[in-house]
Amino acid sequence: MVSWLTPHIGTQLVDLGSALLLLTCFAIIAQRRLSACVDLFALQSLFLAMTAALVAFLTGTPHIYYAAALTVLVKVIVIPRVLKRVIERLNVTRELVMNINVPASLLICGALVMIAFFITQPIIPFGHLLTRDSLAIALAIVLIGFFTMIARQKAVTQMIAFLVMENGLFLGATAATYGMPLIVELGVFFDVLVAALIAGIYTNRLQDAFDSVDTNRLSELKE
Amino acid sequence: MIVNYMTIAVSLLLLPPLVAGGLSLLITSSRRLHLTNLTSIGTLIAAEAAITRTVLAQGSVTAFGEIVYIDALSSVILFIIGTVGLACSLYMRSYMDEQVAQGVIEANRLNLFFFLFHMFILAMVVATIANSLGVQWVAIEATTLATTFLIAFWRRRESLEAGWKYLILCSVGISLALFGVVLMYYSSLRVLGDVSSALNITQLQQVADQLDPHILKLAFVFLFVGYGTKVGLVPMHSWLPDAYTEAPAPVAAMLAGVLETVAVYAILRSRGIVDQAVSPEFTGGLLALFGLLSFALAAFFILLQHNYKRLFAYSSIEHMGLAMIGFGVGGPIGNFGGLFHLVNHAFAKSLAFFAAGNIHRRFKTVEIDQVHGLITVLPWSALALIVAGLALAALPPFALFASEMQIITALGTSGAPGEWFQSGPRIPVVILLFCSLVAFAGFLARITGMVWGEAPKDIPQGEQWTVGHIPIILLGAVLVGFCWALPTPFRQLLDTASAMLVNR
Repeated sequence: MVSWLTPHIGTQLVDLGSALLLLTCFAIIAQRRLSACVDLFALQSLFLAMTAALVAFLTGTPHIYYAAALTVLVKVIVIPRVLKRVIERLNVTRELVMNINVPASLLICGALVMIAFFITQPIIPFGHLLTRDSLAIALAIVLIGFFTMIARQKAVTQMIAFLVMENGLFLGATAATYGMPLIVELGVFFDVLVAALIAGIYTNRLQDAFDSVDTNRLSELKE
Repeated sequence: MIVNYMTIAVSLLLLPPLVAGGLSLLITSSRRLHLTNLTSIGTLIAAEAAITRTVLAQGSVTAFGEIVYIDALSSVILFIIGTVGLACSLYMRSYMDEQVAQGVIEANRLNLFFFLFHMFILAMVVATIANSLGVQWVAIEATTLATTFLIAFWRRRESLEAGWKYLILCSVGISLALFGVVLMYYSSLRVLGDVSSALNITQLQQVADQLDPHILKLAFVFLFVGYGTKVGLVPMHSWLPDAYTEAPAPVAAMLAGVLETVAVYAILRSRGIVDQAVSPEFTGGLLALFGLLSFALAAFFILLQHNYKRLFAYSSIEHMGLAMIGFGVGGPIGNFGGLFHLVNHAFAKSLAFFAAGNIHRRFKTVEIDQVHGLITVLPWSALALIVAGLALAALPPFALFASEMQIITALGTSGAPGEWFQSGPRIPVVILLFCSLVAFAGFLARITGMVWGEAPKDIPQGEQWTVGHIPIILLGAVLVGFCWALPTPFRQLLDTASAMLVNR
């Protein structure tokens, strides 16, 4: 622990970072324009990298710095670019049909946050003092990502939702455990990157085959 | 000396698919692609045999400084990967070549297929031998990524749809499993400290009883949901029938026979740790409940199917549910039955998909109503279909009968675990028997309709002998043989593995 930062201020700062991540989740849910969703995702990843770097600084754990740097590289720069290119090529700009409209979605997400705090209540006291509230926020982000996946139909939005879930998981790993073992973290980054690239290729092919990236058009396979 | 020997053996597990995958991208000739593939699988199996011998002698082995951990349970899974992989490789020799000859697959995309196939096998091997639960997660997610293009390999609209569904559902499911891994690490950190080995199975097993039960319970729920999606347990199964229908037959065989098994293995691994801190009733109850749910629901879907590939897909859900019941009930018989059932199911399901692949290539349809008179059109495949169908309906003299009997016996004697089943063993057993009767009726009705009857006029008759028939005959023989007698080393392996699962 760095001397001039009392543990109290450190905790507050980490909590602030986690809260910002959660806030961007709500913004993504409320946003209809796809390119703005991508920007928000990039912003969220930036907050994530900052929070992770903060944790690394406060705890003096060097390998979290690597993870933070990788987050900037993969999730702030590479993946948003891929997504932007996909959106450009597909010529889709807005999420037109929503299974669940924005106000209802926001309410449900609020409920999900409460559920996340409820679930993690019994296990939070075991965590590190510095970051223990972040675990609940991390679970909330994962659940919101999961919900976005169900509530939105465009393939691109579903991809963003998946990446948001991944951000939540990463926050959980950083917050609860000061980072996973480095080999695992590298592997997770590799998987996420490849998944995003594959999904990008898929959206192109779906566009060619169905003339649409609405996943509700994907209904040829039925019982 | 023994250390060096193991290092070589483990490298021989990992290097062949890696090298073969790289080579496949460079080779264009189909013959060489198949040759590389068979060499790679052959080496893999030889390495497995060597490792299994050591495992049986020593109990467990680690290599590369605790990165790799192999015990009897992982050896069983490696055995399934190797044998089903070999069967698929032999079958692919005739299947893929014909697809290329017919122009279904462009010749220049064949090497991509093999590359992805090798990566698929590599990821599964890594998931099986990884000591760290984190690395295991990474490898299982990698299997999703490797197979998604294999499923969509035909690039039709339906296959793209199936591939996308598979990618999204499994990635999301498995993300939840990662949260479980994070929680597992969270609990172990307090005991082991912030070391990178704190996720290693070898370390966790030693300190498992000191871990916090609350965190472990939550972790197991997330892991179970995540890997359960990959296993195809109800209600996370909806990707599975689509993917199996659209995937090329050898890929479907690998998915059904091996990938599901690897996902079950991942669940069993974390269960082994959780059970030491939490009462086994908790994990056992979850496994048995979702197993029974999958078994019952799939049995009724089998009754409704009009597409033979979907029929086999639902039967996969059914049998995985059954194996889960076996593991959930536990005890020596339940665990042995569960493991044995995994092996038998892998064989029967690959046989079924090989037959389905042959039928699909000749009849060009997956509709059961349009396939008749298989016995005159494709006599060998008809026989394979009958054997696979009866085996999957768990009739004697096929090995699935033996394993299903073991599971039902275990359920009947010790009853289902957990608070879900307060009523005693009778009701679950009745449900199980009734649903297996339903599935049996569904299978028999569909298969007899396909095998007998008058063949459509425009379908050419007669079946040429190909390399692809070798695995079909061998698998059929093994399915019958395993019902009567298990080879001693294999039996020993299963016994050791199920004993490991029991003593918790």
